[in-house]
Amino acid sequence: MADITAIRHRIKSIGDTHQITKAMELISVAKMRKMTEKQAFSSLYFDSVRYTVKDILRHSADVQNKYTALRGGGRAAYVVIAGDKGLAGAFNNNVLNLAWEHMQRYPVHYVITIGQMARAFFEAKKQPVDLEFTHAVASPTLHDARGIVRDILDLYDKNLMDEVYVVFTHMYSSADHVPEVVKLLPIEEKEIRADVNTTFSGDICYDPSPHEVLEVLVPQYLIGLIYTALIHSASSEHAARMVAMSSANKNAEKMLGELGLTYNRLRQGAITSELLDLTSGKFFYENTVHGGQEKE
Amino acid sequence: MPDKFYLEIITPEKAFFRGDVESILIPSVGGDCMIMAGHQPMVFATQPGILTITVNGQRREAFMSEGFIEVRPDATIAFSQAVEWPEDIDERRAEEAKERAEEMVRRNRSAAEYRLNRIALQRAFARLRVKHHEYGDRS
Repeated sequence: MADITAIRHRIKSIGDTHQITKAMELISVAKMRKMTEKQAFSSLYFDSVRYTVKDILRHSADVQNKYTALRGGGRAAYVVIAGDKGLAGAFNNNVLNLAWEHMQRYPVHYVITIGQMARAFFEAKKQPVDLEFTHAVASPTLHDARGIVRDILDLYDKNLMDEVYVVFTHMYSSADHVPEVVKLLPIEEKEIRADVNTTFSGDICYDPSPHEVLEVLVPQYLIGLIYTALIHSASSEHAARMVAMSSANKNAEKMLGELGLTYNRLRQGAITSELLDLTSGKFFYENTVHGGQEKE
Repeated sequence: MPDKFYLEIITPEKAFFRGDVESILIPSVGGDCMIMAGHQPMVFATQPGILTITVNGQRREAFMSEGFIEVRPDATIAFSQAVEWPEDIDERRAEEAKERAEEMVRRNRSAAEYRLNRIALQRAFARLRVKHHEYGDRS
């Protein structure tokens, strides 16, 4: 049997933790909703960018851009997007392990991390992190995405890598988020997911030329990809944390119930034994002390 | 009364404009272009500049950053990183951006940077131009 004060302490500490997890769940719900709204606006825009890029690449095979040319080498760079904080179930582990496995296929790989958990993971694996972005995880903005794309293109232009992959968690619904690897560079038509249903399916002219339209669109396509990945990752993180916290809440409530029961039982037991002590003490006193005195 | 067509202007953050218009004048990469109802299906790339929308004979100007415009038979959709009405433009910020970009262009370190800075400069100029039109500096 545990000590009664120890149990009282445990009840207090579990109660405190319960309050924290409850608050975290509410925060995650609110943040996830905000992210989902952001995503709805941006997807309208970037889906069209994707579709148009795909359309140009499909119809005009001769159009070349320096970012569509295959380089054919074994050097890959990975942009790994995870969270800044833990306590989100398996969210961080899932995406980081996927990145780690995928990486092993390339003899030379560079790692670009977004989020502190990602950096900590690769440091623990003794994999040097080549570039790191902070402050882009909690509430990603287009500005962040632009900066990240600019830096990556900088490295790509210096011919340091042949391929760039983005590893992030794709959120399909609040209960369904899957870590995915998406190729960022070079841009290939078959890799572009475009699920926009345009009402017009005929050939479209490009002004001034498909080449120049592509020139304008490519940076936007890359920014869009990174921005979408950041937003998906952020909302998945919040969704995962929401689920983790709600199960933590349930557990806390269950434990509090059980501990309360044990505590009450112990307390009752203590009272009973005290009462027993008192009555038996009185009985003993009356029978021995007083009895002895009367005999004298 | 000229024919109207449906126009949508979309940025990654919001839907900037939705409605029927008579014509739009766009800052296309190949030079300014006027689009009216019944235009051939086309995609235009745009550079930072002034977008002029005409509805019921009323002209309104807005700043439009780089993007593209899709003309379809049923609707015309403009996509751009940023579109702003003159009243939403922060003049001081644009002025600062202009000075910064000018400074960078002057330093002119590499071709890629030059291109980037030139676009930034173009953006700042276009913002300021739209802003000044509002106050009737030029008509």
